[in-house]
Amino acid sequence: MSEKKPLSEGQAGNRQLLKSKKSLAEILDVAAEFERTARDFYADLVPRVSKQLRYLVEELVAEEQGHYDLVTELRARPDLAQQISTMVETPVSDRRFSDSVHLPRLGDNPDDQAVLQFALGREQKAIDQYSALAETSPPGPIRELFVFLANEETQHKIELEKIYYEIVHSGGV
Amino acid sequence: MSVRDVISPFTAWKNVFRETVSIKDPINSRPGAPRYRGFHQNDMEKCIGCGTCEVICQNAAIDMVPVDGQEARDGDSGLRPRIDYGRCCWCALCVDVCMTGSLTMSNEYQWVDSDPDVFRFIPGAEKKSWDDAELGYRRPDDHHIKPAARVSMGEMEPQVRIGNFDEIVDGYSIEQAVLEADRCVECGLCVATCPTHMAIPDYIRAVREGDYEQGLRLLYDSNPFSQTCGRVCTHKCETACAAAHDGDPIAIRWLKRHITDQVPIEKYTEIIGKPAEPTGRKVAVVGAGPAGLTAAYDLARKGHEVHVFEAQAGPGGMIRYGIPEYRLPYDVIDNEVGVIEAQGVKINYNCRVGTEITMAQLRDDHDAVLLTIGLHLGRSTRIPGSDHPMVMKAVDLLRDITEGKALEVPRTAVVIGGGNVAMDIARSIARLQQQKFGKVGMTVTALEDFDHFLADPEEVKESFEEGIEIIDARGPREIMLEKDGRVSGLKTWKVLSIFDEDGRFSPQYDDGDEWIHFGEMVIEAIGQMSDVSVLGEELTEALEWNRGRIRVDQAGRTSEPWLWSGGDCVNGPDVVHAVADGHRAAASIDAYIMAKQEEA
Repeated sequence: MSEKKPLSEGQAGNRQLLKSKKSLAEILDVAAEFERTARDFYADLVPRVSKQLRYLVEELVAEEQGHYDLVTELRARPDLAQQISTMVETPVSDRRFSDSVHLPRLGDNPDDQAVLQFALGREQKAIDQYSALAETSPPGPIRELFVFLANEETQHKIELEKIYYEIVHSGGV
Repeated sequence: MSVRDVISPFTAWKNVFRETVSIKDPINSRPGAPRYRGFHQNDMEKCIGCGTCEVICQNAAIDMVPVDGQEARDGDSGLRPRIDYGRCCWCALCVDVCMTGSLTMSNEYQWVDSDPDVFRFIPGAEKKSWDDAELGYRRPDDHHIKPAARVSMGEMEPQVRIGNFDEIVDGYSIEQAVLEADRCVECGLCVATCPTHMAIPDYIRAVREGDYEQGLRLLYDSNPFSQTCGRVCTHKCETACAAAHDGDPIAIRWLKRHITDQVPIEKYTEIIGKPAEPTGRKVAVVGAGPAGLTAAYDLARKGHEVHVFEAQAGPGGMIRYGIPEYRLPYDVIDNEVGVIEAQGVKINYNCRVGTEITMAQLRDDHDAVLLTIGLHLGRSTRIPGSDHPMVMKAVDLLRDITEGKALEVPRTAVVIGGGNVAMDIARSIARLQQQKFGKVGMTVTALEDFDHFLADPEEVKESFEEGIEIIDARGPREIMLEKDGRVSGLKTWKVLSIFDEDGRFSPQYDDGDEWIHFGEMVIEAIGQMSDVSVLGEELTEALEWNRGRIRVDQAGRTSEPWLWSGGDCVNGPDVVHAVADGHRAAASIDAYIMAKQEEA
């Protein structure tokens, strides 16, 4: 399922991430990497969680695959080809987002609450990042692209929050 | 013949020039009086299909019939009255008795047609010219065929009850119960809403007639936990009650309890009757809660040998280890379980499946196995500091209290949660505080605001009465610690909203509205889950799951043909639902093992 190895500390790619400005292409590459590593992380997690929780992790795999497809399709869109080398001011959140390409350990046998909290945290990072990029981008197609991506991540976070409430609060007993 | 006789007919001619006093065209120009009882009108939205009109009609002119577009739902049978004007005597008793006031009579009385069948129609469903008539007969607002208010239940005063764990409510006296039973119109809407479909109007009639043995027989036909449900049932039946449209709903729960109070416990088994002859078949039940023991009761009555395996030292499951004694006394549970045991059910206490015995052993030694393990594990918020030893889970504390363990009672405590479990633990610890320190120091913080509170309103009301502070719309952020590491309280933020405009969970906080709730102990009461470790890895892998819970079919059967499951661990927390699950599973298990017997 993985197409690329995740970036690791000290690689040239990471130094690139710390620049104050990046091209749209670079930003979308990091975003795709963020989604891909998450997808692979959840895919690896599936056999490690108890069977009754697998549905949850499998749903996260599918969701992250959807995000990955979305970002890679956007990267390849002909109407963005002219914009792809445009330099965009990287916001404060960029470092946090880029670092999140490296995934922390979730333990050997995480429960449903831990998986959900982890997933919610990643969604929030993505929302912060895309929202901040939208704010630092001039009005136009690039800003609209980041607003769109932020909305996508927000929708997914809302879905996860709903699941969290149903599972963890178990109907308010 | 006199002259007068000849002339007098001509005197009538004088009337030719007088004003007429009769109506020239009475059929077309004479409206009914303003309160005339003419053809019926029925507000289809207000009508709940309770059929009270049908029952009261002395001429059998009303039939309750299905109507296109009117679906049955809780509190509405989906049926609507059809009136036969060949029988109707226009007495308006149906209007007077209508529980919702939906049925009225227009002042329209003229209708000529050569087809007699048209004079039988469903008001409101079949369009008539008088549907919107404003004049006619309506039940006057102050006319009530039954008293609108329910007979109040006596209970211990707050300042008395806060010092002990004695049962709060008194139960009805016979006189009170008969008065309350008299308010029931026997519509039966409650039967459909009750998960175990208790014969509610019938047992209420038994109260009215003073036939408690018949009442008990009816209760046990559908619910071997009637003493329990008579105290702690979620009583959804009362939300469906037709009387609620014209005052308070009937106190169905209290009347159920009243029947069980009136029959001496030693007579229960005699009234219920003996089980069937032994079939030689064996069933194992894991967990001695309402679902498991209901199934055990049903199966034992059919002659099967039932062995229950219970991890705790006493029976009842969540109702014993999760509900405080002031709501449900332990001796009530013991009495109830004694009746079940008298049918031949064997309960093995302190026998934890997965430790003392495995599921594989149960499968090998029995014809079928039923898993009813409740929701005995508490969820944690996992906010910073929540792993501190003085941050406890409500279910653990409630279990400790039931077991009589010596607790470290805090002078002050904060509960996180707004459901009934939060109220249960707050009120239990408050009692211990009162006993030890002479005062209550308890704060409950709930995510939900009072308009969307999860706990029953009466639980909230009684908690306030007992001196418990309940603060709504607070989101827990962090456990506060003293420098020496002791818990000092809970930090919360104001919850601006929990759900978005589409009703989805999306909590929004005001981080500028931060409070510290002081407490030596913080108790988490946010949710519960099942301890599915009893299954073991192999069975966990073999089973099909449904979003974290064991997948079962409508009869409670899992994907493993020898295993059934039900109760809180499958369908969430509710005693009467657990009882219903137990019945369904027992019927399915019985069918399965009897089919096996026939094959053999």
